[in-house]
Amino acid sequence: MKDSTINARQAGMLCVMTLFANKIFLLPSLMYENVKADAFFVMIFLFAMELFVFSVFLLLKSKYPDKTLNFILEKHLGRVIARIIYILFMVFFLFKMLLTYSVCYVYLKQLVYQNEFTLLALVAILPVVNHAVICGLRTFSRTVELYFFVLMAGIFICLAVGLVNMQGMPFFFNSSASSFFSTSFKHIFSFGDYLFLFLIIDKVKIKENETKTMFRFILLGIASILCIFFIFFSIFQITAFMHNNALTDIISVSTRLNTLGRLDVIAMVTIMFLCYFQMSIFLFSFSEAFCNVFHKLNRAYSVCVFDVVFLLSYFVLIGRYENMLIYTQGWLPYYSIATNIVIPIVLFFISLPKMRKEVIYEKNY
Amino acid sequence: MPFLSIEKQIEKIKNDFHQTSDLATRILSKGNMKVGFVYLKSITSNEIFGDLLFRPMSTTGKSITLQTLQESIIKANDILEISKTEIVDNIIKGGVIILLEGEEKALSVDILNYPTRAPQEPPTSPVIMGPREGFTEDLKTNLSLMRRRLASKDLVMKQLNIGQYSGTKVVISYVHGIADEKIVDKIENKLKKIKIDGVMDSYYLVGFLQEHENSVFRQVGMAEKPDIVASKLLEGKVAIIVDNSPIVLTIPFILFEDLQNSNDYYTNHHYTSFIRIIRLIGIMMAIIASGLYLALQLYHYNALPLNFLITIADTTQGLPFTPFLELIFIFFLFQILYEVSLRLPSYLGLATSVVGALILGDTGVKAGLISPPGVIIVAVSKIALYLIPSQSSQVTILQIIFIILGGSLGMLGIMGGLVYFTNYLNGLDSYGVPYLAPYSPRIKNDLQDGIFKENISDIHTRPETFNNKNKVRLK
Repeated sequence: MKDSTINARQAGMLCVMTLFANKIFLLPSLMYENVKADAFFVMIFLFAMELFVFSVFLLLKSKYPDKTLNFILEKHLGRVIARIIYILFMVFFLFKMLLTYSVCYVYLKQLVYQNEFTLLALVAILPVVNHAVICGLRTFSRTVELYFFVLMAGIFICLAVGLVNMQGMPFFFNSSASSFFSTSFKHIFSFGDYLFLFLIIDKVKIKENETKTMFRFILLGIASILCIFFIFFSIFQITAFMHNNALTDIISVSTRLNTLGRLDVIAMVTIMFLCYFQMSIFLFSFSEAFCNVFHKLNRAYSVCVFDVVFLLSYFVLIGRYENMLIYTQGWLPYYSIATNIVIPIVLFFISLPKMRKEVIYEKNY
Repeated sequence: MPFLSIEKQIEKIKNDFHQTSDLATRILSKGNMKVGFVYLKSITSNEIFGDLLFRPMSTTGKSITLQTLQESIIKANDILEISKTEIVDNIIKGGVIILLEGEEKALSVDILNYPTRAPQEPPTSPVIMGPREGFTEDLKTNLSLMRRRLASKDLVMKQLNIGQYSGTKVVISYVHGIADEKIVDKIENKLKKIKIDGVMDSYYLVGFLQEHENSVFRQVGMAEKPDIVASKLLEGKVAIIVDNSPIVLTIPFILFEDLQNSNDYYTNHHYTSFIRIIRLIGIMMAIIASGLYLALQLYHYNALPLNFLITIADTTQGLPFTPFLELIFIFFLFQILYEVSLRLPSYLGLATSVVGALILGDTGVKAGLISPPGVIIVAVSKIALYLIPSQSSQVTILQIIFIILGGSLGMLGIMGGLVYFTNYLNGLDSYGVPYLAPYSPRIKNDLQDGIFKENISDIHTRPETFNNKNKVRLK
């Protein structure tokens, strides 16, 4: 097991990868159902919260450059609360993984395999994701680094093809403030991806001025998703709620460019890679939280426990994809308030008091 | 203890060599003085022995002592004064032992001579332009080829002997001031720890030098040309030259090295960049093309263009095998033909190719046993494999894995396989150097000789990937 450090560039790439996957399938059409094209602003609002999480991470990192989250939490909140926070993270990332797996499975079932392939999907996904986590953060980050620009190229090709098919601007400002906030609340569970940064806070090495690098990557990820939403709403307008696979539908609707060949294969391949990477990050986060709750158990144990819990949850608790959607918009948003808002605010206050006295960034490593 | 009797001493040496038939002994009587000669005639030259030793000694008018022999009588260059215990070792190394009655010491004159071939262009690394010399099986020739290219006092050659019976000479070579001494020491320690009966080729050492011994992926570089090895030494690597082997090992090794070719450095850098892209695409095709075709045919036929789908449907109709078994069958057929053509003499190899291509391929298609697209896909992936011949064994294993993944799990399996193997490769390192550098992790400086190669006048520094000491290459 290799658990060594990663640099700011690699951390930035992980941040981009963790944003994609479940946000580019069903989320645009679900949001459109609630607030029409104003879903675009809901996204901006929810991304602002993600940026807040990122800012708290930077503040905390500047105060405790080499310390683990466990150390920080135990120091300020005590051992019991630290354990509770880790358990909250464990459950949060377990359900994030279940959500990503479910939407990925439905996408592949509908567009790629065209019939049920439950066992095949589990065999294809779980061992790869498990291996990625057992290999360690540095190894996995390097893999992401290798594929990053290829995957971004895939997304940009989809966006470029989508741009050609744009019908006009989407109709904004059609929803009320209450529906805006209720939609934000409903879909809050699909966000909070940057919480994983807290779990690897001691493993990210940020040199002087490298926050810019990380920030650039984060903006790139957020801008790409916003572009997908914007183009998706522009192309499909009032029928946007009928299209369940945003990225693929953007590219497959083109009649002119599809004469070149089956361009939707680009989206298909890109999505598969993104799903693998996002699920690996979620499992890694689960594993980190698990190892901090059960100090005596190592990563291999955490992965085994995860597999058992994941399979039980998937087959017993969820069963069908629709149930996952009910959870996502039912009790999980309340849960996400604790993880996505309360914990970052608590960590924000932790990062404040001694900020001026500390050296901001370590310089030599 | 003095040599009391030449005859007894010679008999003792013969016994040490178990009365081997190629141990030659002669006694020259010169007045009261007796001179004994012992040597292995299988590795020494009779002519040199006669011209440089026996004749001058039998015709000289001077008294024969160890001093006069060394100073004036023997015309050879390599004369050593040795003790009694060193006699056997020197005979093995190709020396003639000269024993003088009453002397405590003996002389060893190096007249080693065995058949060697002249440096030729190696079959696996031909170039259109550029040096054509390749290494031979003779260590001395190989060392001289290296010295010719790096005429510097900083070129260091450390010799070891490995193998209980073979006593194979192994030379660790590096450029002092460029190579990382820690890596040199690590290699030396690893080599010294090897307790093996014999080393027949440099490949025997690969398993001992690799950091991840059981990995499918090779972690030691191999080169057959002195210009390649010399340029690797200038990058800060360490070379291991083994007697009796024309293959020189280089350490540390990264996967990207195999994408480079000596031709790349003797042609226009724009063209080199283009060719490297082709190689990369080719090797990816070699790995996943067969599996991808199978995945598309079995699970995702709707992703195929309609005309192509119709062609596949037409040609695969009525085949007795499933697409998966068909591809596995063609794959093994190609592999068998390849193995056969390697081992047969060239004239028979040609006949095998004809039988393979015409009879098995064409007739197989006409008989409705295999489909043309299947043959084409496997053939393309097999041909693409040889864009990087040094990786052919690894890629062949990956091919079969990806066929199984594509056939059983479809596209998701192929993508999963790629992520899995990339993770695996990222977990490998060779003497502290990441295996997929300079792309994963990205080492900006080294991208100048990456897939896109810059002009040599723009490459000012040595690769940062390897922990070399002196970074400046061009001022």
